[in-house]
Amino acid sequence: MSSLVAAARGVYLREAGAEILKSWRLPQFAIPTIVLPPAFYALFAFGMGRGDPDVATQMVATFGVYAVMGPALFGFGANVAAERESGQLELKRLSPMPAGAHVTAKLIATMMFSAVAIALIYALALAAGVRLGMAQWLTLAAVQIIAVIPFALIGLGFGYRMAQKGAIAVVNILFLGMAVMGGLWMPIAALPEVIQTIAWGLPSYHLGEIALMAVGRSSSANLWLHAGPLALITLASAIFALTGQKRHAA
Amino acid sequence: MSSSSSSPVARLTRATKSYAGKQVLNGVNLALEPGVVTALLGPNGAGKSTLAGVLTGRLEPSSGEVALFDRDPRDPEARARMGVMLQAAGLPDGLTVSEAINLQAGYFKRRLKTTDILEQAGLTALAKRPCARLSGGEQRRVQFACAIAGCPDFLVLDEPTTGFDADARHALWSNVRAKAAEGAAVLLATHYMEEADALADRIIVIADGRIVADDTPAAIKAKVAGSTIRLRTAQTALLLARLPAVAKVEKKGADTSLVTTNARATLTALFQMDPTLTHFDVMAASLEDALADIITNFDKEAL
Repeated sequence: MSSLVAAARGVYLREAGAEILKSWRLPQFAIPTIVLPPAFYALFAFGMGRGDPDVATQMVATFGVYAVMGPALFGFGANVAAERESGQLELKRLSPMPAGAHVTAKLIATMMFSAVAIALIYALALAAGVRLGMAQWLTLAAVQIIAVIPFALIGLGFGYRMAQKGAIAVVNILFLGMAVMGGLWMPIAALPEVIQTIAWGLPSYHLGEIALMAVGRSSSANLWLHAGPLALITLASAIFALTGQKRHAA
Repeated sequence: MSSSSSSPVARLTRATKSYAGKQVLNGVNLALEPGVVTALLGPNGAGKSTLAGVLTGRLEPSSGEVALFDRDPRDPEARARMGVMLQAAGLPDGLTVSEAINLQAGYFKRRLKTTDILEQAGLTALAKRPCARLSGGEQRRVQFACAIAGCPDFLVLDEPTTGFDADARHALWSNVRAKAAEGAAVLLATHYMEEADALADRIIVIADGRIVADDTPAAIKAKVAGSTIRLRTAQTALLLARLPAVAKVEKKGADTSLVTTNARATLTALFQMDPTLTHFDVMAASLEDALADIITNFDKEAL
């Protein structure tokens, strides 16, 4: 008998479309994740930085990373916990949907939301007098969009393990903690030495530094100094997410 | 339908399942045939959900074998022929009813059109409503719609009509009958005896992880000796209890019910005692009585 499972490409597309619709229609998700990061960027770049293009350039790198953390951590942490608790994941698992379709769809939706938030920040950066070459803008955008992945994996690991309320609390702490201690709001050199040490274990710190390299503002020129630890952290996060998924499936 | 007549839709062979040392399924053998509605009955904790979970591939048996359309139940091709309505399942809050149904139907190559699914589940008027704004009964209907979206050859319904009014319940029942008439094997786990009685061709009673009865509803009911006579009479309970073959008398004002092991003998004597008696009903033992009886006997044997 010929296959009765729908073609994978169509399923992935419809699943991604549904994820984008769901997020877009949920104001408590869309507003904080799209509007708040650009608002914070404006506050820091124009307010504290007094419109200094140098400060604004530094911050377009780090605030772009901050902007993708929210949708990735909340979309994968809190929302997956809610879908798991309500039995929606169970029902998908009993359907012939390809196993990776749901997570892939969420990843696409998250990257789209992140892209909108980042685009708003870039527009504000241009207004603040930030001037970069086209290659620099594109590299920066690529780094910041890819940054979704490690945060999504961390969120997923908690989403599979924790109840929704607990997951929201944990993700909130991680969101603010990784932003501040990773040097995304203010340069890490301005923070206590102990936090500078902790930062080495945080994906936010390494992604911030790689983004700073993209705009030519990093103190270091050695990409692998940060790409290496970042790869290790991402691998550990992937294991955290996969073991969580196995636990859920058992 | 596409399933061949010789091979069962779903089959369990000596299936066991234990959690943390506790045996929840105790060597269950079972085959479900196309076109048959099978009701799964039993007290809470008897293993109904575990049995359904193993059959659908949601749970892996600790030992024994499970096959769905002669495949591993986790095989996507097996899942493409199955529709499941879980006992408790939320819906995607951000999607409308028709969007949620369309997403689910899209997993299946052989699927019903969204408009047809909406109509069959009685949801046409709610098509554009966000799932977040549905009542409990309406949510159950959307979950039923999702279960039938892929034209399943195996339809699994866990407490499908919780929160339904009588109209919605009867609409779902006739829909389930239609699916069985088209050739689907239906597995129905329910607490409503009326539902099992109305729908099932076959009833499986499970207690303590074992199948303790497996028969037609009529045969299951016949296992309980006796019937109930309902009547209106001014005679006292004490007198009625002395009638031949009467096992139990319940009186609420003039409404009386007599449980008897021989309705004919009881009635004959009753007419002599009360010549004015004109209104009475004789009912066979209910499925609920039968079930209670089967489980009680099983418990005694187990002791």
